[in-house]
Amino acid sequence: MTPASTRYKGKAGQWAFLGHRVTGFLVFLFLLLHIVDVSLLRWPETYDQVHRLYGNVLLRLFEVGLFFALLFHTFNGVRIVAVDMFPEAVRNQRRLLQAVVALTVAIGVPGGVVIMWPFIEGRLL
Amino acid sequence: MKTVEAPPPRPGGRSGRGRRKRSPEALSWAFMRLSGLALVFLALIHFSITHIVNDVVETDYDFVAERWHNPLWRLFDWALLVLALSHGLNGLRWIVDDYVRDPGRRKAVKGLLYGVTGVLVIVGTLTILAFPSRPR
Repeated sequence: MTPASTRYKGKAGQWAFLGHRVTGFLVFLFLLLHIVDVSLLRWPETYDQVHRLYGNVLLRLFEVGLFFALLFHTFNGVRIVAVDMFPEAVRNQRRLLQAVVALTVAIGVPGGVVIMWPFIEGRLL
Repeated sequence: MKTVEAPPPRPGGRSGRGRRKRSPEALSWAFMRLSGLALVFLALIHFSITHIVNDVVETDYDFVAERWHNPLWRLFDWALLVLALSHGLNGLRWIVDDYVRDPGRRKAVKGLLYGVTGVLVIVGTLTILAFPSRPR
């Protein structure tokens, strides 16, 4: 049995910390892949062939995920800078994290719909 | 009138103005904030152009050629490349320090991280620089 002492009982800040790490790591991994696929510009036909894959439904879903990760990391990063600059803001940290999540969803959902639009319209698959 | 004497120069400090010498980790902390704030604009504008304003399938070779006809967009993309990679590199360095406890293994993982990032800075920079200024 897992000893209870190893379980984190972190609150909002702990989830924000974890979310920031995970999204940062994922965006970095995508960045590595993206630099490699863009380097194919050296061979225009190959670039266009590989690039067309990004229009695939599965990769579009992946792009929606990337967008959410990017948005969360961005707004949470702004929250961190804000708390550094105005330490008093820690008092409202739960509220601040809620704002981060709300902004991520409010921009991520319509953005996701735009990215998935060709599929929703039935032009894909 | 009371005179206040300047504090004695700190041992090892270069300036005698009593200013605290910043440690490399403090610089890394500040870099994360500054590069992060720049990336708010660079990354979100880049993503909006390539996925929201235009559909991803439209951003083919000709799209890039038209965009990179303007050197300012090349500069924009290069700034994004360098800042995103260094911001990510520093973040991963912190993650490695937290989770890879064995000194030898930590050194190896960091070496791999620096190597891969270094190669990609070069590949990305060459991609932007070597792209012809005239369409194919």
